[in-house]
Amino acid sequence: MSSHDHAEHHVTPLKVYFGVYFALLFLTIVTVGVSYLGLPPTLSIIVAMVVASIKAFLVSAWFMHLAHDTKFNVLFFVASLWFIAVFFIFTTSDLASRGRVMKAADTFEYRLDKASKAPAVK
Amino acid sequence: MAYISMRFFYPETFELVQHKNLLSIPWGATNTLVLLTSSLTMALAVRAAQMLPMVKNDEEKKIRKSLMNYLLVTCVFAGMFLVIKYVEYTHKIHDGLLPGKFYSYDAWKAQIEDNTFAGVVGEGGELIITEAPQIFFSVYFMMTGVHGLHVLIGVGVILWLYLRAKRGEFNRENFAAVENVGLYWHLVDLIWIFLFPLLYLVQ
Repeated sequence: MSSHDHAEHHVTPLKVYFGVYFALLFLTIVTVGVSYLGLPPTLSIIVAMVVASIKAFLVSAWFMHLAHDTKFNVLFFVASLWFIAVFFIFTTSDLASRGRVMKAADTFEYRLDKASKAPAVK
Repeated sequence: MAYISMRFFYPETFELVQHKNLLSIPWGATNTLVLLTSSLTMALAVRAAQMLPMVKNDEEKKIRKSLMNYLLVTCVFAGMFLVIKYVEYTHKIHDGLLPGKFYSYDAWKAQIEDNTFAGVVGEGGELIITEAPQIFFSVYFMMTGVHGLHVLIGVGVILWLYLRAKRGEFNRENFAAVENVGLYWHLVDLIWIFLFPLLYLVQ
């Protein structure tokens, strides 16, 4: 985005673009392949998100030129990721621990939930 | 956020969605490849714009032609993405998976009357019947719908770039519009990179 300040900007060689592209295709095949392995849910979501993050890194660093951009733009990018992470971590930890907290407190909601999960009668 | 809550509250939904093939992994994977390819052609378009000479000579004409071609190819791939999405949506509408009052998928029947579906067994050994496909598909339509809208907007702005490139408005000193639309387009790709495994693959 610094086209106005610099007459000379970095032009990425073609083979880098194609290298990144084929890496992205390969990672797509990997993530689809892994999904057929039938991994346990927690592990499968971790693998899928790690692969997606590598792909996101490849796209942002080379297709979006962050690798050759000013460090200030990189800071912006990483800072936004950090705040998204904060947002997700707090909500996720709430949702993940809710069952245990409700059980420990033996709340009305917990008993209601337990009753609703009793063997289905139809 | 809705997606994360749904995963915690209704983990059994995903098994039903996958067992019943309510989402097509081959179509989703094809769309991923289509969008990645369009991201490559967009990056190549930006590269061409970066190399456009200041003076209008034969070289400028050649590079401008390649810029226009890359933009056009990007649009074609975006169109392919939308066509595939349309095919997928048609299947889902046929299955009655639209949100709200248009929802008519019988999750109960799908689970009880299907002998091949073992279902999800709870702590007490009871079969957990999921009522959540409608929640899953509400989230699905919201996420892919908003993403599809961005693809549509992308097609519009790329065509606008095409017209400007045709008029010879860009050169190596002035290509910010191409670069910024490129960034937008890669972002649309980035979002799909996360949506695809979250909705189609992860169990």
